[in-house]
Amino acid sequence: MRLEKGALHVNYWPRHISFVTFRFPALRIERRLEVPPHVSAAVTVLFLSLSFVISGSILQVMGVDAVAAISQVASVYTSPQLLVAVVLRGIPIGLAAVGLSIAFRAGFWNIGAEGQMYMGMFASTGVVLLHVYYGLIPGWALLPVMAMAAFVAGGLYCSLAGLLKAKLGVNEVLTTLMMNFIAILFVDYLVYGPWRDPRGFGFPLTVPFPAEAKFGGILGDAAWEGLALLGAVALLAYFLMTRTTVGLDLKLIGDNPQIAGIAGVRMVRTHLILSMITGGLAGLAGFFLLTGIVGRLRPRISPGYGYTAIVISFLAGLHPVLAVPAAVFMGGLIVGGDVLQSTLNLPFAAVQLFQSTILIMIVVGEFVKRYRVVIG
Amino acid sequence: MIDVGWLEGLLALTVQVGVLYLLASLGEIYAERSGVLNLGLEGIMIIGAVTSFVFTNALGHGYAVLAAATFGCGMGLLLALLTVTMKLNQIVVGLAMTIMGYGVSGLMGHPSTREHVMRALNPGIPQEVAMLQRAPPLGAITIPGLSELPLVGRAFFSHNILVYLALVLAFVMWFVLFRTSFGLSVRSVGENPSMADALGVNVFRLRYLTCVVSGLFGGLAGAYLFIGYQPFWLEMMTNGRGFIALSLVILASWNPLRAILGSLLFGGVEVIQYRLQLFGVGAQTPQFVLMLPYIVAIVTLSLLSIESVRKRIGVPEALGKPYSRE
Repeated sequence: MRLEKGALHVNYWPRHISFVTFRFPALRIERRLEVPPHVSAAVTVLFLSLSFVISGSILQVMGVDAVAAISQVASVYTSPQLLVAVVLRGIPIGLAAVGLSIAFRAGFWNIGAEGQMYMGMFASTGVVLLHVYYGLIPGWALLPVMAMAAFVAGGLYCSLAGLLKAKLGVNEVLTTLMMNFIAILFVDYLVYGPWRDPRGFGFPLTVPFPAEAKFGGILGDAAWEGLALLGAVALLAYFLMTRTTVGLDLKLIGDNPQIAGIAGVRMVRTHLILSMITGGLAGLAGFFLLTGIVGRLRPRISPGYGYTAIVISFLAGLHPVLAVPAAVFMGGLIVGGDVLQSTLNLPFAAVQLFQSTILIMIVVGEFVKRYRVVIG
Repeated sequence: MIDVGWLEGLLALTVQVGVLYLLASLGEIYAERSGVLNLGLEGIMIIGAVTSFVFTNALGHGYAVLAAATFGCGMGLLLALLTVTMKLNQIVVGLAMTIMGYGVSGLMGHPSTREHVMRALNPGIPQEVAMLQRAPPLGAITIPGLSELPLVGRAFFSHNILVYLALVLAFVMWFVLFRTSFGLSVRSVGENPSMADALGVNVFRLRYLTCVVSGLFGGLAGAYLFIGYQPFWLEMMTNGRGFIALSLVILASWNPLRAILGSLLFGGVEVIQYRLQLFGVGAQTPQFVLMLPYIVAIVTLSLLSIESVRKRIGVPEALGKPYSRE
């Protein structure tokens, strides 16, 4: 998050509030030129905790015991049994967040990770059905082919918005948002219609995936295999952004698209590559949701994980490697939401409340980091 | 020969749905004209919907509209604090406000928490009322004489009070924006804030005001969605309509009068969905029909972005850019 240069014009102590016996010391707000890393970390932690105070107060107003709710969410991170689930749930949102951190760094506001995830689920299920119904793909090749199909499907879906932006200048925020709703409905159609399991008693479900199309075969648990995948993807993304010309082009576009154009960055080509990466990783997230967690396609699998991924990428400061711990943290929040549902009878909306206050407080923290208060 | 009664019903329904988009876009036009993109419109709308649901059952329609408007203004104030004063990224803030709207509304509409909130508002409320998933809708006021006009009579003159309010407000908002000095300052702040500042317009105060106005209208749109159109509570019942309203603002080229036409278009698309299903089109697979509004929005956005068209509609120059005095 970059801010405009110049001093801040906020009158923190309005003149008309005067106290007769006590005078406030004058507070001056100065702009920091450089943010030391320990200040940055401290501010992030402080504002992260503040976000829980805010969402807790909102819960309390609605008659929910906020202390109990937040301590139950916190207990998720300390329980060894639940920790595997926390990591597992963090992986799909982390995969999408790595892609988003690249897109946001390049100034491409892809809000469509949700829809691209659904396209990834669509493509990987398509591969499984080819295997189950027609025997076209051998079992050992299932996982890699599914991953590739999901990546390409998510990437192509995002490329539509990328092309529209690069060629016509269409606002990608709105197009990617709209495409979320279209993708969700498209998957609904498949699962209620042609892809429904003929032996599924009429439920909107596809056939269950065979064991070859599921994670958990090598390291024993899908969580650890997924973590390895996520770590590798994050390192690759970091390498791409720091050591390649594509990464340089992307950063240039993010800093100043006009200058990037003058400097000879090919806009359409770069936007296509960018869309393939960010959409592709979201597609891969959809692939992992099916192969690592759910095990078959059904409607509305993701209750907004694509938006959660946005929160993660900002929590990680748009750094692809930091997105991994941030994703595990958010995975804990999702597991905590399940716990809240069973113990306090709270809907998933409670998790959304936590997420939104986290996102707001993280960006407010970025604002605060740039200034310091001088007393005197 | 087209059956006139059928067409009248279609038109009336189109107006009924269109007003939802109209209310949402009117406030947004002011915010964007002054240079602030309110991407949190979806979240503000759903908070308006849930507050009008809870307040209608606890206290009645009047309080419901008031509460939705107040909550909307509050969200608008939050938007202004974060984007005008703190100069944070407007897309991120808007998204956060949308997620927050989903979260708060989902919690407030959930039976267990809803009962607590309703008891706080009105301790004497019976258990079965607190458990209701629906609320009584606003009654229609038929304007005598005018409503008997052929074709347009039923379409425009037999609705609830919020519909009339929205249509009148569209004209008022247009007049204020294009025919008063206040409107001129709003537009100039969105085009060239430093110039407006030099000429003595308080950029920050004006943007705070337009943010609150967009929140107010978003809240009203949410209230209308619930008590004026679909008085049955569903989690996430706005279903992306706030985002469609955002594309409608572009389609209307930031003009309240053109927003009337645009909202009739999107209202019509939504009505055609239901009619197509009645005729058996997509009865088995309604999903493709349900995609229509989003597809129409993408197509219109893309057509508007073609160079020759874009030059004519005039995007506010400072849209999305925070202002700071150097």
